[in-house]
Formats: sequence, structure tokens, C-alpha cells
Amino acid sequence: ADKVYRLKLAETWGPNFPVFGDSVKNMVKMAEEMSNGRLKIRVDSANKHKSPFGVFDMVKIGQYDIGHSASYYYNGKVPNTLYFTTMPFGMTASEQYAWFQYGGGQELMDEVYSAHNLVPFPGGNTGVQMGGWFRKEINTVEDLKNLKMRIPGFAGEVLAKLGATPVNIPPGELYTSLERNTIDALEWVGPSLDLRMGFHKIAPIYYMGWHEPATELMFIVNKKKLETLPADLQAILKVAMRKASYDMYVQSYALSAENWAVMKTEFPDIQVKTFPPAVLSAMKKANDEILEEKASNDPMAAKIIKSQQDYLKLVRVWTDISEYGYIKSTKELAK
Amino acid sequence: MIGIIMFGVALVLLLTGFPVAFVFAGVALIFGVFAEGFELFAFMPYRIMSIMENSIMMAVPMFIFMGNVLQKTKLAEQLLEAMGQLFGRVRGGVAVSTILVGCLLAASTGVVGASVVAMGVISLPVMLKYNYDKKLATGVICASGTLGQIIPPSIILIILGDVMGVPVGDLFRAAVLPGAILVGAFILYVLIYAYFKPEAAPALPESEFSGPGGFAPYLVAFKAIAPPLVLIFSVLGSIFYGIATPTESSAIGGAGAILLALLYKQCSWKILWESSIETVKVTAMVFAIFIGATAFSMVFSYTGGEELIEELMFSLPGEKWGFLIITMLVILVLGFFIDFVEISFIVVPMLYPIAEMMGIDLTWFAILIAMNLQTSFLTPPFGFSLFYLKGVAPPEVKTMDIYKGVIPFIGLQLLVLASIVVFPGFYGFE
Amino acid sequence: MESLQNVFDRFSDVIGKITATLMILLLINVFYDVVARYFFKSSSIAFQELEWHIFASMFLLGIAYTLKEEGHVRVDILYEKLSDKNKAWINSLGCIFFLLPFCGLVIWYGYDFTLESYSLNEVSGDPGGLSHRWLIKAMIPLSALALIFSGLGMLIKNLRCIFEKDI
Ligand code: NA
Ligand code: NA
Repeated sequence: ADKVYRLKLAETWGPNFPVFGDSVKNMVKMAEEMSNGRLKIRVDSANKHKSPFGVFDMVKIGQYDIGHSASYYYNGKVPNTLYFTTMPFGMTASEQYAWFQYGGGQELMDEVYSAHNLVPFPGGNTGVQMGGWFRKEINTVEDLKNLKMRIPGFAGEVLAKLGATPVNIPPGELYTSLERNTIDALEWVGPSLDLRMGFHKIAPIYYMGWHEPATELMFIVNKKKLETLPADLQAILKVAMRKASYDMYVQSYALSAENWAVMKTEFPDIQVKTFPPAVLSAMKKANDEILEEKASNDPMAAKIIKSQQDYLKLVRVWTDISEYGYIKSTKELAK
Repeated sequence: MIGIIMFGVALVLLLTGFPVAFVFAGVALIFGVFAEGFELFAFMPYRIMSIMENSIMMAVPMFIFMGNVLQKTKLAEQLLEAMGQLFGRVRGGVAVSTILVGCLLAASTGVVGASVVAMGVISLPVMLKYNYDKKLATGVICASGTLGQIIPPSIILIILGDVMGVPVGDLFRAAVLPGAILVGAFILYVLIYAYFKPEAAPALPESEFSGPGGFAPYLVAFKAIAPPLVLIFSVLGSIFYGIATPTESSAIGGAGAILLALLYKQCSWKILWESSIETVKVTAMVFAIFIGATAFSMVFSYTGGEELIEELMFSLPGEKWGFLIITMLVILVLGFFIDFVEISFIVVPMLYPIAEMMGIDLTWFAILIAMNLQTSFLTPPFGFSLFYLKGVAPPEVKTMDIYKGVIPFIGLQLLVLASIVVFPGFYGFE
Repeated sequence: MESLQNVFDRFSDVIGKITATLMILLLINVFYDVVARYFFKSSSIAFQELEWHIFASMFLLGIAYTLKEEGHVRVDILYEKLSDKNKAWINSLGCIFFLLPFCGLVIWYGYDFTLESYSLNEVSGDPGGLSHRWLIKAMIPLSALALIFSGLGMLIKNLRCIFEKDI
């Protein structure tokens, strides 16, 4: 019989975590089927390995062969991992996929990860994430001052620059903290995952997104381990990952649409709002200042940021006259 | 299979009396190295790190500190006696007060270790001083210390909400009445027990109540009632008014205790320092068990323990009542051996889709599971509450006293659980 | 042997004093963060992270001190009925086969874990968070080392109970 290769995969998510976890299950199933059972991948969720944000390290040292996580979780360890998930005011999912596969994005990501014995691949996209649940309206930049918000990472840094107070609160205490006004606002994901957290019952204003327009998860594979696989199995694994990531984007899209319909009928009081233009432009300015600072400190960061910004300039013109133009010109007709 | 042998060996080695934390670690070491090799232990730093980063657990030392300050300044005694007076000079008054204090701690966090240990420090010495039966005293503390599981905010409800896809807010609301009924059942049991066995839960002696005439008694009463009020206000108030997160409220509780000590002119550096040292000892005892237990569960799950449980679940019956009853029994039995977080992650994802298919209300199902898992803290031999309390109890309290003490309370929890199963309408379900 | 045991015991006492200080600092830290956020509308991610750094250092190091103070909980159903010598046997064997090797493994793998963080100059992933993440990771092998010292103190004490006739 053919030799069976067994791989171990660690994911950042808990068992049966919707959408994110589905992407992994999907990939594993395809890999096994395409290889006719020669590639078997065991999936360990966070409840088993107990280290959701240790996935990078555990795959790097070979405790696991594959990981499924998000690149920006590791920016404290390797600063340039920040750019391969999503950027505030950055590209949409289709634009970002174009950048990854035809705009030099994948090569840049490879360069950042290869120093750590890792081979990275896109791992599924959530699409535009929502700006978060707020208890009070944000009408001016002044309203951001003293806003206590759970918003981790880079976006938190942007808001802090405008006088807001980013707060670290464990996920288990978010609901109580929002309900009791310990925080004024929080961001989670979007309808696909927000519905079950119940935030809409205690903070009725749902702001549209700006900070994570195209959150892309990632698969990382231990490089040495990958090279021990026969060439056909390497190819099968890569195809399975690429297909799974695309499937997750589609699934997120479908689930967000469905859940939003449920939310809107069951909870008609939810108010969807956009931040006023003045607030958004202040955020954009703060965002650009931070990026400039990061670029001036690190040549590799400068290279990635430039690649993303150049690509956005190129691709957005096309988006404007294609998808956006189409949606705008046929908006009334679609109803 | 290795999983089952491991539990057996751990059980035997625990009986040797070597510290619990290191028995877990040692058994994990032997079985882990034997089955998977040394490499498995490369996971240990990651697992320890995740315990370190779990800031919800920060409530543990801070509530223990609060308990120590209250105890060393004699304010705890005063507090419980004052509350005992609220119930008249009834027998079992201090035990009832203990249940209410447990309720208070439960409403401010969902961390069982913190509540059990703080209550052990606060009220066990008082009950022992007034000649309470050791079994009753320890049973009351363990049981009311675990109330944090069902009374919101509660960690288990948050995990279940996440795993089952039910809004956390709904679960919190649904848990209030079952929690209240459980508290009522505990109190009723203590009162009845004390009525029939007066020597087990004596009323406070008359001398405790004597004082001068005129306005003075009111002043004395007020001075006695004030401490609990200040503490209730500082701990619960800080959450309800949005000043602090549930975890941070434990720091407010610690600070509140110091403030009380200052108000009553009982505060000194010596007391703070000694409280701090005591707190470190108890906290380290609790977290050593966490570390030992994480090593143990690591070896259990990496040697096929999860698959073992999954096989077990496949043999569940396919109609509603049979499914419910067997499910509850299986969770209860697993709870004897396995941590509630593990159970919620391994077993619940397999159960809730079936429940949903049978048309069982998921909120109701989640509350049943939460009640059931709360019991797992009390069930010997691996009930963590039992270990926590043993760690702070004076040497004259034996493990056997605690084991025997919790049995009636396990019974009460199962009784309330059964009532939710039989009368869902009363609890607002369906 | 007695003097060697004293060395280990004094070491544990020093650890005890350090951790008690950390405990008080923890309370001040959390209380300060609450007051600053609620009353002064300011909050620092660095101070929020410092909370769990202090908390973790306190309980990790505290394990060694607690061992010396006999504070780790035991199931005493049978243990309490044993003679002092038999208790000493259990403690010595447990120390040699469970406690010390387990600490050894934690040090072995904890060292790599820390070194990785040190060599990457790892910082907090959140902006404004603490730098030098390796320092807190180093607490894992360090606390296991402290526990080894404390465990050796316990071992010597129990061996003396077995082999020295009159103490
Ligand atoms: Na609670
Ligand atoms: Na148990």
C-alpha cells in the first residue's frame, strides 16, 4: 500500500468554531480526498494545545506541522507579520487576493516568514469587518476622546492617537463590561460571529467598518516538514489550502448576509451608521502617520507598505469603475 | 485506554498524601514520557503561559487577600456575626450568612477557586470557633463557593454560550432564577439540619448579644452591619456602576477591606504584610494545582483521551427524555474526573446539535449543563473545591470531613437540577 | 546536612518576601488602573499588562515558598495515620521521582521558550504594551529552578528524618 503521511495541525480557534474552523476542516478533507488517503491531517483546537497565540512558535519549532491563525497576532514577535492580515483603509478582499497572488504580496509574506522556517499561505477571508457596537453616537472627532473601547492591535493605536482609550478586556468579560458601561464600545467581527455574542441587545448602534476591510487568516507550514513530503502531496496540500481559503471567503459572505437578515428582523432597533467624514478622515490621517513612522524605522516594513499602497492605487481605479460603479449605477434597480 | 489507567494511578498516588499538584504533574510525567516521549513536554511552557495570561484568574489572589485582611482584623467575625443577628438568634445563622456571602462573591466573579478559598479564610474559623460540625461547615463553604458557576457573571455560561452559539446575555438572564432557588435550597437545608441537630450548628451564645441599654444597642448594631454594607457596595457596586470589570472588582474588594480595617482602627503594616504572605501561599497552592492539572490533561488528551470520550457519547439514546437523562448522567460522571472546561469543549459540541434536532430549547439545555458542571467542583475525588478548601483549612479539618460534608449539597444541586428538568415552565423556559 | 537544608530554606524565605511584595504591588496596580480609567479617563496598556506580569510572577515563584511552608494541599485520608518515618519516605520518593524531574523538564523546555523570545526581541503585540517579553517568559524556568532549590530543602529534611536517628 502507499505510504500514509500524517501531519498535525494546530488552530488558534476553539473546537467547532464557525467559519474559521470550517476552513481548516474543509482543507483537511480536501487534502485527504485528493491524495486518496495518503495525506492525513489531525486538527488540534485551542482547547487541546491551550495556546491560541503560540501557533506560530509551535509550528516553527516543529511541535506541529501546520498552523491556522492570523498573521497580525504575531506582530509583537515579528513586527512585519502585521501587514498580511488586513490594514485599516486598505484593500478589500478581492483586491487583496489580487495583491497576494498577482501583485507580489505572497512573495513579501514568504520573505517575512522564511526567516522562521515557515511557509505561509492565505487561510480564508472574513470580508469587511464591522466597526463595532457602540452605546452612543460618534458625531465629531471630539466624541472619540475618552471613548473607552475594546479594540486591540493597530486599529487601537489609531484610535488612541485621536484620544480614545483602548482597553484590554478578556473576551469572557466583554458582555458584562459593555452592559455596565465599563467600556463604551467594542469591535468583534461582523454579523457572522457577532449575533451569538448578544452585543446588539445592550449597545444598539452598529458602526460600519474601516479598520479591517478584508481580514485574511493564514495557514503556516513548517518548512522542513513540508520538504519531507513527496512533490505530489506538497502540491495537493497547497491546492487544498488555496481552495479552502477561497471557500471561507464565500462562506463568510453567505453567513454574514443570512445572519444580518436575522438580526434585522428579530432586532429592528439596531441602528447601522457610518462614521461622519470628518471622523474618518481624522482616523485616516492618524493611520497614515503611524504607517509612515513604521516605514521609516524598518526597510522591510517600508517595502511592504509601499507595495500595498501602490497596488491599492492601481486596483482601486478598476474597482471604482467595475464593482463599485456597477453597484452604484444599479443600486435602485436591485430593490 | 492510557487515559483510564492514568486516572486510576493518579487516584492511588493521591492517597499516599503527596501534594496533589505534584502527584498530577508526576503522573503526567511518567505516562507522558512513556507514551509520547520527552518531546511532549515542549508544550508545557505554552500551557503555563496560558495560565499566566488568563487575567480572569487574577480575582483569585485578590479575593483571598480580602478574606485574609478581614479575618486578621477580626472584621470577618464581626461581619458574619452581624449577619447571623439579622436572622435572629437562630441556629445555623453563621452558616446562612456564609451562603449569602458566597452569593455576593458569586455575583462579582465566576471564579470558583477565588470564592471557595476566600470563604474558607473568612468563615471557616468563625464556624469552627462556634463549634459548628466540621462536615456542615466545610460543605456549606464548598457549595456556596461554587455558586459563582451559575450566578452571573459566570465563566461556564460564557463558554457554553460560545460553544453552543446561544447569546451570553440570554444565558445570564436564564441562570438568575435557578441560582436563586439553589441558594434558597442551601439555606433551607441548613435551617432544617440545625433544627433537628442543634449541636451541629449552634446559635451564637447569648453573651454575644449583650450590651448597654438606651441608644447604644442601635449604635452597636449599626457598627456591626456597616462592614458588610461597605464591602457589598465596593465589590458589587463597582461592577454595577461600571467602575470596574468583574475581575477588577476583586481589587476593589481588597482595597475595600483595607479601608474597613482603617475605619475600624485595626489596620497595621504587620496585618497587611501577613495577609499578603498568607495570600501568596494559598494562591501558589491553587495555581500549582492548575499547573499540575494542565500537565495531566495534556497527557490525557494527547494520548487519545478525547477519542475515548467521543466513543462514549456515540452510545447515547435517540429520544428526548432518554437522551436528556443519560446526557446528564454522563456529564455528571465525567465531572468526577475531568475539569468543566474540558467537558464543555469536548462533550458539549457533540451534544447540542442532537439536542437542537430533538427540539430541545438550547438555553434550557445550557443551564442544565451548567448546573451539572457546577456539581463537578464538589464531587470527590477530583473536585477542585475540595482541594482548595483543604488547602486553607486548619489541620484538624480532615479531607474525609470535607468529602462527607459536600455530599448533602451535591444532593441538593441534583434536586434543583431535576426540578429544572421537570418544571421548565416555572423557571421561564419554553 | 542541616546547614545545607538551612541554605535552601533561607532561599525559600527570600522568595516568600519577594512574592508577598509582588502581591501588594498587584493590588495597587489593579486599583490604580481602575481609578485612572474611571476617574481620570486615562488608561495605559502597559499598566494593564503589568497586572498579569506581576500576578504571574507572584504565583509562579510562590510555589517554591509554599513548598517550604508545607502549604501545598494533600489528600490526608491515609497520610495522617502514617508514622513520621513513613511520611518522610513518601515525601522523599515523591520529590525524587515527581517533583524534581518535572521541574527539570519545565526548565529544559522553558529555557528554549524564553531564548526564542529573547532572540526575537519580542514585545507585546498591543501598541503601548510592555517590551522585553522574554523577562516574563523567563519566570517559567526560573520558578521551576526555585522550586528545585525548595524541593532539595524538602528532600534533605525528609532524608534526615529517615536516616538521622534523633531529630
Ligand atoms: Na458568578
Ligand atoms: Na470533579
